[in-house]
Amino acid sequence: MNNQWSSPRNGGNGESDAGANSHLDSLFHAYREACPDPAPSVNFMPEMWAKIEARQASSTIFSRMAKALVTAALGASVIMGLLSASYTPPPVSANDGSILQALANDHVRDLEPLQIERISELEQQ
Amino acid sequence: MLVEFELLQQAQRGDASAFNQVVTAYRRRILGTISRLIGRPEDVEDVAQEVFLRLYFSLDQLRTPEVFEPWLYRLTVNASYDYLRKSKRRPESRMSDLSEQQVMMADAAAGSKAQTEEGEKHRVRDTVQSLLSSVSEEDRILLTLKEVEGLSLRELEQIYHVSENSLKVRLFRARQRVLKNVKGVTRRRGNSASSDDGL
Repeated sequence: MNNQWSSPRNGGNGESDAGANSHLDSLFHAYREACPDPAPSVNFMPEMWAKIEARQASSTIFSRMAKALVTAALGASVIMGLLSASYTPPPVSANDGSILQALANDHVRDLEPLQIERISELEQQ
Repeated sequence: MLVEFELLQQAQRGDASAFNQVVTAYRRRILGTISRLIGRPEDVEDVAQEVFLRLYFSLDQLRTPEVFEPWLYRLTVNASYDYLRKSKRRPESRMSDLSEQQVMMADAAAGSKAQTEEGEKHRVRDTVQSLLSSVSEEDRILLTLKEVEGLSLRELEQIYHVSENSLKVRLFRARQRVLKNVKGVTRRRGNSASSDDGL
């Protein structure tokens, strides 16, 4: 193993950039050697497949829920469509939408025609 | 490439045995890369399983064999990065965080361990991981891929989908930050060594 990294006192305080660079390179090289590829455990594959199956199961549940929601939305829109097709709107009234017009339309039959003669009689009394 | 494209195509069609062969061919390399990227041996298998899980569910997007390995590396980098982001904790005190006295004590303890090769390896791992902790997680991963894994700029381009020039700039800056830390640790150790000599 390269031990160059472990004797930094040789470099001292006046270590040049080039020296520091090569020191860092040797450190990285030593790190690569100090961390070999680990062997997988015997449970690696079974655990991996268990995770895959769990992810598949959750995505299946999600897709089923999504399908159910889409079906429900389609059904609701069909029902709404049928309802709106069978709905016949009431005849258009003479009401132009103003409050005065509405009041006038509502009470026009309750009012008696103005009896000018009777009022004048009252005034005379 | 460690496997034939035909095997990948079989795995794409849902052949579990073919997928097992792909995993078997690459898992050791992926485990090694992850262990050097995240520096926590106890979580390496979990992250590697996440990589192969992502591979399993995205394998149908693979069209050409030459992009498979950069793509697998990309999945590895992303899973490692996600892990580091989630954990956001450092397992133990790093050399760069220690006081001068603590550095001397750690050196003394490590000195006895250094009698054996395993002790030496332990010191290297601790030193490099402490140096890499001075840069962001992204730069740490990029530096590790370049300097430790030995990936070329061309391969990094394929993984990161950025130009070679911007990779060079980012690598240079990250390396400068690590170098600054190297000099600091070296200076502190040099000082403590000369005070030892004076005693």
